[in-house]
Amino acid sequence: MLDTLIPLAVDGLASAALIFFVAVGLTLVFSVLRVLNVAHGSFYSIGAYVAASVGLWIASAGLNPWLSFPALIFSAAIVAALFGPLVESCLMRWTYGKSEAIQILVTFGLFLILEDLQRIVFGVSSLAEDTPMLLLGSTQIGGVVYLNYQLLLIALAVVVVVGLRVLLTKTRIGRLVTAVVADREMAQSIGINTNRVFILSFSLGVFLAALGGALATPTAGAAPGLGAETMVLAFAVAAIGGLGQIEGAALAAIIVGLARVLAIYFAPSLDAVAPYIVMLVVLLIRPYGLFGQAPTRRI
Amino acid sequence: MIKSGWMTALAVSLGALAAPAFAQEKPASLGVGVLTFTSGPAAAYGMPGKNAAELMIDEINAKGGIGGVPLKATYVDEAQGTQGVIAEYRRLADDKTNQVMIAALSSANCLALAPLAEQLQAPTIGWNCDTHQLLLDGKSRYYFRPNGNTIPEFVAYALYLLQQKPDVKRIAIVNPDYAFGHDAALIFKTAMKALKPDVEVVAELFPKLGSANFQTEISKLSASRPDVVFSNLWGADLENFVRQAQPRGLFSSSQVVLALGETVLQRVALPEGVIVGVLGDGWWMSPDARANPETKSFVEAYQKRYGEYPVFPSVKMANAIVYMKAAYEAALKKNGGKWPSRDELADAMRGSTVKTLTGTTVTRKDNDGLVDQIVGVTQKSADYKFPVIGGMVRYKGDALMPPQGEDAIKWVGALTPAFLAAQPKPGSYK
Repeated sequence: MLDTLIPLAVDGLASAALIFFVAVGLTLVFSVLRVLNVAHGSFYSIGAYVAASVGLWIASAGLNPWLSFPALIFSAAIVAALFGPLVESCLMRWTYGKSEAIQILVTFGLFLILEDLQRIVFGVSSLAEDTPMLLLGSTQIGGVVYLNYQLLLIALAVVVVVGLRVLLTKTRIGRLVTAVVADREMAQSIGINTNRVFILSFSLGVFLAALGGALATPTAGAAPGLGAETMVLAFAVAAIGGLGQIEGAALAAIIVGLARVLAIYFAPSLDAVAPYIVMLVVLLIRPYGLFGQAPTRRI
Repeated sequence: MIKSGWMTALAVSLGALAAPAFAQEKPASLGVGVLTFTSGPAAAYGMPGKNAAELMIDEINAKGGIGGVPLKATYVDEAQGTQGVIAEYRRLADDKTNQVMIAALSSANCLALAPLAEQLQAPTIGWNCDTHQLLLDGKSRYYFRPNGNTIPEFVAYALYLLQQKPDVKRIAIVNPDYAFGHDAALIFKTAMKALKPDVEVVAELFPKLGSANFQTEISKLSASRPDVVFSNLWGADLENFVRQAQPRGLFSSSQVVLALGETVLQRVALPEGVIVGVLGDGWWMSPDARANPETKSFVEAYQKRYGEYPVFPSVKMANAIVYMKAAYEAALKKNGGKWPSRDELADAMRGSTVKTLTGTTVTRKDNDGLVDQIVGVTQKSADYKFPVIGGMVRYKGDALMPPQGEDAIKWVGALTPAFLAAQPKPGSYK
């Protein structure tokens, strides 16, 4: 029994970790900016392409292969620094307060532009650099060989959940973000530079998406279409957890990860739809997601 | 019944008179519509095809075109979806300057375009239309599939596997979740059970096309302890599967069969001993290909222009263009040098035997092509940085193809161990 349950749990958590990085970025951006960013998945795939390119450069330059680990985080930081302020100040800012339909159309347009941009810059072939995965080796659990890199991803996801909670509750910038989330007008009236908070929050969201892509590269590489695939799943996870809820995204990622794993093990034909069945059931019972709350009416 | 026959004959005769069946003046250029995937995940397979088409057309034009007429290609991206592909095909085929279509890569698109080719009377070469469900009625006049279909392609893997490992019992399948994956699984399973009735399918997984992460599938496969893992994953999906499965020991615990493995030989480090093939005879390094100076020249030009060697989708496209050129030359010859009509071109394709870059394709009366099937195992090479195919066998195309009009799956299910024993052995193609 334990021999079956342990692989199920390891697979489920490893699968959840990768989904979590991108979903938590999406949910963070929504909670601060109140915009559902359809282009969020593109930052995931750009992160993957940049990380693979940097990793390949490290390998070709003959540098220490362990540098490929910090390179993953460095790649995500480059993507966030490049796209975060630019996209927020030049595009997203003009959608604040507009209808959801306008916001979705604008970010969908951005998604299409970024998809073509990737094609022009990185071509249509897949790109991969698996040094970090190979350096860490493998471990046998419950009679099945697992990559230690998969276990590292689970640990990193826990670090990100805790890190984000600490950032939002124990630091000055975190409190500023919380204030803007609670009441944008009031925050502005007491002198908080909301534009700066928006840029920082959006860039952090881009960083988390790009980090997800970068961390996926050693096992999954980067390929055309990755952004769309990831985005759909991230939406499902964010909706299950409750839009704007960090811990909700974490729990939803675990539920979706386990649902997918159970489907693959016991009902393979349901593999692709399992996350959406979970979403449907959760939203029928709790329309605002597991951790979400109905908005209070302000007078 | 007789009345209906006369009516049909009359309708066909009137239709034939109305069709542009007469030989025409030579056009300024020969328009060719080429449909393939140039974006999205399938571009990993489609772009090598487009590269080959560009190269072949440039080379034909450099030598004066076909019958003195230069080729002018219009490329259509199949990633836009079947409705878009149909609209683009209709636009191109309706334009009489486009006299021949090379379409398509996706089997779903091929199935949608085949009736349209008949309606628009546009000679069309299905360069990668593998599904055995195409051309089933045997009535197609304008749609041709010279590169073979899924039945011989996947029966060949069952034959090779059982010749290499006659004791296999537990098989697992991991194929993409769409018609190509499900068809291949059905054909491979049916062939395996017919040739060795005691085989057992211990896992059958169909991950979504375009999946990047196969870790759970690999865990499930490992836990099922199969003797054999068969897969027709392709493109980035296949690369990711190999990259994730190899360090997790799947390639050492089971015999892996990768039906489209040749397409990733230059991109991921496949270990030795993996059974791979080319869904036909399109291996640029096969003995026949190496003996052909035209193939040698194509491979060198391809490598120089695109920085890598052609993979079998490139060769399939190149062979489709060779096939088109041969049909034009045959029709021109029959017409005494006058430019052929679309009907005359289609007539030249039907029943033809064409020497391609990697072998021969014979077009049956139902417009389906007979091509040999090359299968082998990955081997290290002293000459290349990537593994090559060794221990090759070349199964005869007609031996592995169900007779015209017969139910293909029933035919596969009726194969016998005696049929297996009669086939050439691995390593016999040198």
